[in-house]
Amino acid sequence: MVLCRMKIIIMSEMFIHPSVFFILGGLFIPFLKGRIKKGYMIFVALLAFFAVFIMPYGTYGVYEFLEWQLTFGNVDKLSKVFAYIFTIMGVIGVIYSIQVDNDGELIAAFYYVGGAIGVTLAGDFLTLFLFWEIMAFSSVFLIWYRKSEFSVEVGFRYLLWHVTGGLILLAGIILQYNLSGDLTINHSPFHGWWPTDFQSLASFLIVIGFIVNAAVPPFGSWLPDAYPAATVTGAVFMSAFTTKTAVYALIRVCSGSEILIILGVIMAIYGVVYAVLENDVRRLLAYHIISQVGYMVAGVGLGTQMAINGVVAHAFCHILYKSLLFMGTGSVLYMTGTSKLTELGGLYKTMPRTMIYTIIGGLSISAFPLFSGFVSKSMTVAAFGQEHLMWPFLLLMLASAGTFLHTGLKVPYFIWFGKDRGIKAQEPPWNMELAMIIGSLFCIGLGVFYQPLYSLLPYPVHFHPYTLYHVSETLQLLLFTQLGFFFLIKKLWCENSISLDTDWLPRKSAKALMWFTNNPLSRIEYNIIGEIYEFIIEKPMMRVAYYFMKIDTIVVDGTINGIGRIVMLCSQKMQKVQSGQIQHYAMIMLTGVIILIIIGVVLP
Amino acid sequence: MNLLKIIEAFRTKTMKRIAYAMLILIIVIDFFIPRHEIHFIGDGIPGFWSLFGFVACILIILISKWIGRLGIMQDENYYNE
Repeated sequence: MVLCRMKIIIMSEMFIHPSVFFILGGLFIPFLKGRIKKGYMIFVALLAFFAVFIMPYGTYGVYEFLEWQLTFGNVDKLSKVFAYIFTIMGVIGVIYSIQVDNDGELIAAFYYVGGAIGVTLAGDFLTLFLFWEIMAFSSVFLIWYRKSEFSVEVGFRYLLWHVTGGLILLAGIILQYNLSGDLTINHSPFHGWWPTDFQSLASFLIVIGFIVNAAVPPFGSWLPDAYPAATVTGAVFMSAFTTKTAVYALIRVCSGSEILIILGVIMAIYGVVYAVLENDVRRLLAYHIISQVGYMVAGVGLGTQMAINGVVAHAFCHILYKSLLFMGTGSVLYMTGTSKLTELGGLYKTMPRTMIYTIIGGLSISAFPLFSGFVSKSMTVAAFGQEHLMWPFLLLMLASAGTFLHTGLKVPYFIWFGKDRGIKAQEPPWNMELAMIIGSLFCIGLGVFYQPLYSLLPYPVHFHPYTLYHVSETLQLLLFTQLGFFFLIKKLWCENSISLDTDWLPRKSAKALMWFTNNPLSRIEYNIIGEIYEFIIEKPMMRVAYYFMKIDTIVVDGTINGIGRIVMLCSQKMQKVQSGQIQHYAMIMLTGVIILIIIGVVLP
Repeated sequence: MNLLKIIEAFRTKTMKRIAYAMLILIIVIDFFIPRHEIHFIGDGIPGFWSLFGFVACILIILISKWIGRLGIMQDENYYNE
């Protein structure tokens, strides 16, 4: 009976904000130790998932703040599917990182996940902005806690990008609020190339704010800069949340903005081109995040029901396979101490299981049939085919070949085969492996049983991934890419190099600015402005100060000295009472006590 | 370890021949696959995507390397000088 009632209470639909578990739960991490701490963290992450599971559709958590109405829980199909994947990723990420000793890193990760879920459920722009900034400021610690020589500067660059993006977003929000008097998140796409009136300027600024986080070029260079510099576990979290919350926000606010189609296709190709040149595995994967998010951004730009379904499904699968890839390569970094392809090779003898998980991630991102990418990426690309937009369609197919070329072939080949460098390594700790197994199961599971995912999507799905033609098309594309890979494998050996990205301009101009400040500007300041300052301000100022000093010595000091003399006199009298001998004090105290007794007892 | 043996087995000459045979096979099969939705001309040509995949792969590698040589690729200490 009791059990039955409990079951009803638990299974009945109720709204508890899932971020609460991560944000409040994170606070208790430093007070726990050992196994209890590990268990606690996984439990908190599971609770958050459960909170999403029982979350009913509707609007919750509405608060009045000053003159605004803040909505913390706006649950519809779109926000719920993102909340699902973020909490699933939270569980996987936490399992992967429970062996981390640094509490700060774990708390940062918890806040980061909490922030991402908060953005997803936000019903108004102010709440969205709040969680948006929580994400930026917590994730930067995942870079700083790497504690390497370059972490500090990379972290600051990361923060600068996100603060700038955040401020542009805020400007857009304020403008939007001034125009409409309403902070509710509503659909306001940006059309055309350039803002023409205030309404389109507001949408334009909001789009810019979002696409900085979605790593759309030319604002995307923070991603390949920051993610490879993050900690092993930090990169797993980061690969999942920042860009995908931006995709979510773009869907919610800007779907149908045509400019995003072009930007998305450019992104998809640009990521592939840079991946060819890249030597650091985790940076290569970071460029492939840009490439994959390009599909999503393009799909958001198209904005048809099929495209949006495809984008959401792709974001869902992407989080799982990308984190799996970052977990696999992170394990290699964790066990060998390097993530450079020029220093890796021949690891299949010592880390074969990690290789299999990573290859599963690679096949998923490449949209191989029976793996998760196949049921999601193809829907996005097919949406372009259906609208007869041939150039985006063909370029996205080209990028698909590039994805398989790098993530499916180049990464596994050069880490686990290639040239055997005789590195002594072994499989990672059990929890890291468990997280990879869960990720792999999801990747294969979603590829085979895709119906549950399709039923979560915001619109009804009329797309069947496993048609004969579609399977044949994909297999041909991918397998002949593989043929090309082995054909040109000599060209793909990496070099010890970095690739200049769009952040070249800010980084170099910052250096130029510093030089300008330290040399010509400081000289001008010292020789000209300094002289003028001395003549016009400093000398008259000294004169005025002189008179003030006179007043000070005569009037103010005179008064103070007088008071001082009186105090002195009093204290000389007092001194006589203070003999400094303990027996005198004791006597005085005793006298006092006796007087008290007399007052208290005898007198009444 | 068994897993190691399986991986080794995939690296033999025989597997390579099987792989080439599969490539030919999927082109042959493509001739007999029904096409319901033809969105553009390439969808109607059997084996189109094989050619597309191969050419795409070659182009991506060559063009990217070429772009890299234009000055994109720099020494690792480029920003620290």
